[in-house]
Amino acid sequence: MTYEPSAPSSRVEIELNRYLAEQRMTRRDLLARIAEIGAVAALAPIVAACQASTSPSAAPSVNAATPSAAASTAPTPQPTPQPTPESDLFVYNWDGYIAPDTVAKFQKKYNVKVKYDKFPDADTQMTKIRSDSKGGGYDVTYPASTEISGLAKDGVLLQLDQSLIPNLKNLAPDFTNPDYDPGNKYSVPNYWWTTGFAWDPARVPGDLSSWTALWDASHKGHLGMLDDQREVFAVAGFRLGLSPNTTSEADLDQMLALLKQQKPLVRKYTEDDIGDMTSGQLWISHAWSGDWYQMIADKPKIKYVVPPEGAVRGNDTLVILSGAKHPIAAHLWLNFNLDAEVSAANTNAIGYMGPNAAAQSLIDPAIVNDVRLNPPAAVREKLVELLFLAPADLDKYTSRWNELRA
Amino acid sequence: MSGRNRWLTAFAALIYALLFAPIVVLIVFSFNQSRRNFVWQGFTTDWYPKLFANEDLLDALGVTLQVALIAVVASTVLGSLLGLGLARLRFRGSGATETLLLLPMVTPEIIMGISLLIFFAQLFEQNGSLGQIAIAHITFCISYVAVTVRARAAGMDPRLEEAARDLGASAAGAFWHVTVPLIAPAVAAGAMLAFALSFDDLVVTSFNAGVGSTTLPIYIYSSIKFGVTPQINAISTIIVAVVSIALFFAWRLGAFSGERPLQVSDEGAAAPSPG
Amino acid sequence: MATTAAPAGAGTTSPVAAVAEYRRPLIDRIAGLALILPGVLWLAIFFLLPLAIILVVSLGSRDAAGHLTLAQPNLNNYIEATRPAYLPAFANSLRYSAITTLLSLAIGYPIAYWISRYGGRRKVLLLILVMLPFWTSYLIRTYAWMIILRDNGVLNSGLQAVGLIDEPIALLNTDFSVILGMTYGFLPFAILPMYVSIDRLDQHLVEAARDLYASGSRAFLHVTLPITMPGIVAAALLTFIPAIGDYVTPDLLGGAQTTTIAKIIQVLFTSGRNWPYGSALGFLLMVVTLAGTLVALRTLRREVLA
Repeated sequence: MTYEPSAPSSRVEIELNRYLAEQRMTRRDLLARIAEIGAVAALAPIVAACQASTSPSAAPSVNAATPSAAASTAPTPQPTPQPTPESDLFVYNWDGYIAPDTVAKFQKKYNVKVKYDKFPDADTQMTKIRSDSKGGGYDVTYPASTEISGLAKDGVLLQLDQSLIPNLKNLAPDFTNPDYDPGNKYSVPNYWWTTGFAWDPARVPGDLSSWTALWDASHKGHLGMLDDQREVFAVAGFRLGLSPNTTSEADLDQMLALLKQQKPLVRKYTEDDIGDMTSGQLWISHAWSGDWYQMIADKPKIKYVVPPEGAVRGNDTLVILSGAKHPIAAHLWLNFNLDAEVSAANTNAIGYMGPNAAAQSLIDPAIVNDVRLNPPAAVREKLVELLFLAPADLDKYTSRWNELRA
Repeated sequence: MSGRNRWLTAFAALIYALLFAPIVVLIVFSFNQSRRNFVWQGFTTDWYPKLFANEDLLDALGVTLQVALIAVVASTVLGSLLGLGLARLRFRGSGATETLLLLPMVTPEIIMGISLLIFFAQLFEQNGSLGQIAIAHITFCISYVAVTVRARAAGMDPRLEEAARDLGASAAGAFWHVTVPLIAPAVAAGAMLAFALSFDDLVVTSFNAGVGSTTLPIYIYSSIKFGVTPQINAISTIIVAVVSIALFFAWRLGAFSGERPLQVSDEGAAAPSPG
Repeated sequence: MATTAAPAGAGTTSPVAAVAEYRRPLIDRIAGLALILPGVLWLAIFFLLPLAIILVVSLGSRDAAGHLTLAQPNLNNYIEATRPAYLPAFANSLRYSAITTLLSLAIGYPIAYWISRYGGRRKVLLLILVMLPFWTSYLIRTYAWMIILRDNGVLNSGLQAVGLIDEPIALLNTDFSVILGMTYGFLPFAILPMYVSIDRLDQHLVEAARDLYASGSRAFLHVTLPITMPGIVAAALLTFIPAIGDYVTPDLLGGAQTTTIAKIIQVLFTSGRNWPYGSALGFLLMVVTLAGTLVALRTLRREVLA
């Protein structure tokens, strides 16, 4: 089911949407406000904006709206006509994280010019969007789910106007109303994955399944772990039966000791598990599920497993930043990526499963049916999500991570 | 003398070969069929047309070159003046100025990058831009130029300029006709260093770039997660080719003839040299 | 001002010069300031001021929500930063920088000498050829080294093909690859200042020394080397100091055992979200490096350039 933009809407519609975006209100909130202080008072800013001489958005048509018309176009539960988007959109994302033609399709459909900037790692992303606490000049970005509560609290995110994202109904039940963002107020889910390990059977014989394989001395000098402190400590946690979200110093000390035992065997803490495995630098490595999918494009024999002791299930999200200069186009981008066909195209390109139930039938069977990329619900239940840590708690991890790495 | 010449020349040839070895590899791999830059999978020239269709990459190159140009000009001027002044004059603050010169080099790039990020974001509400990157680059390039010029100017005999003044030259004239030519090689060397520094900078730049001002190093570094495609090799190959061709023509047109009628050394003995 | 730099006994004697000399110092002082001022002003605004901000940050801490707070400025971060746990990383940084600098000087000096003495008409061309690889992207050149040094890369495959080795040697992700990469990256920073210094050496001085029965090596040690010492010092500065803060090369070419202090600082700022602590550690590193450099310079000036 695709979404068609309607004819250019009225000036009132445009001002209404802008007002809602600026005030971080949904239409439901506006209705509540009208109930509180009366229609005239609540809608006065919108009326004033309609009567203002210029409109900063790219809306070509302006209907002469009277004040009474403003009151009578108070929102109803039915889907409203699509407002006209701005002419540009600034997206900030990982490299190679969507299908190669997604941007082109979006540009063609909505006549919006997309400027697509990339970051090499999540920390650069966070530093950039938090630099002015409003998103660093970008409209949309893709943060990990663990970041959402912190970002929302700090006012970095724009509250979503869900009426502009009707494709939310495509979401699988697992993903509506997630713990990290109840009601999907600030984010829509993007991809989800598992973190297990991959190995090259030509170099590492045997059918491996446990995390202990990563402590096997026979792999010395050819072993890799991810350069991600939470993920690495999580692996130690799974081996010791401790929670990857623990804040107990005693627990963390145990994990650190175990990791220190492993360090002499580790060749590198890698940011490029795909490259290192396909080039043969690493024979066995801690890896993300979607990355494994990309590895086998170049080296089909590589295997991957999600160990039964436990593994991390992660997902990331799409958000709109509070300083977004193109909020309407941003909402359209979110909606577009939740479209079944687009979502399936993205997944097929890079191997990470999306949250889109409606897209399942369109995804490459090799991905959908592979229990490693798309574990069944029973396995998914046992996976653990990494949760947001308060700074004092994160410090406990960071100081030990630095001690490990130094 | 000639024996030493042979060994030295052989050594030089070896080092030049090592300097260019990665360049050869990167040129060869620009024809690699694999999307990832690691394993040779066959010959193709497809990456070159794809490169020209890749607006983002070309934009990044454009930004990088513009920034480098601005940074080189400004830092060469400021740095040369600074280096010259430090070398020639003893004044009360010269020790402090020397230390000031060393500070940007001692500063870890991440500290310099973040300090400018905070500076521009909080004081000027800037979110990163080409101008901001250029300012950052000028800031760290000045030191390199100044140190290079200072080394040369420190060995220069100040009496030469005095002699020119004694012979009737004005202060500006003496400066222009005596001092400047003597430090010119150091200024040129400083400019070349500044260009290399600016062109390649990653850390400081990534904290000062904004929407639409991605530079080539940022673009490339952001690609590591999913593999550096041979498109980037292609663009590097083209840069090497363009510069080589320009050099070739410059050489043919005699830009490097190196005929210097007068080689003036510091000991004051002016002697004609074969150049 | 200019007269103080002249050697003793070369003072002016003519009355005309004496009068001119009396006027000159003021002009020279103004001229001197005019030379220094633009650069100093720029650095003051765009370097010192931001650095001062970071200094203030380093005295702060984070509140429960992770925001920077300066409510109680203190030196806790500095005390924390001297943890012995970081010593291996610091030692790595020092080791890599020192070796890189020595190698760059050892390789760069002969190259600079060769270009200057034997380059002839093609001197400048040869110099630009040295720089040419460095006008392509540094990251790409580093990736090229990865292709060369990998276990199944160009070098290992070549050695195996020739029969020198049976199994690939681990070249990448080791100390060797880090030092190789750093030396490669810093070589032009060493060659250029040394070239500039060597080029102004008057060959007649060397010839004179030889005429006075000095052997080739004595002439080099006692004539060439001292005269070109400013260039060597500049080259050492331009290599050692930035090498300590180099984060990218050891990160790309190194492995689990080659972590540098620059990487630790990076982690603190990024995934650790701890700007105050990262700033403090960074400042400590700066102070130590600066102190060491100034001491080394002063010693050099006393011993060598006296």
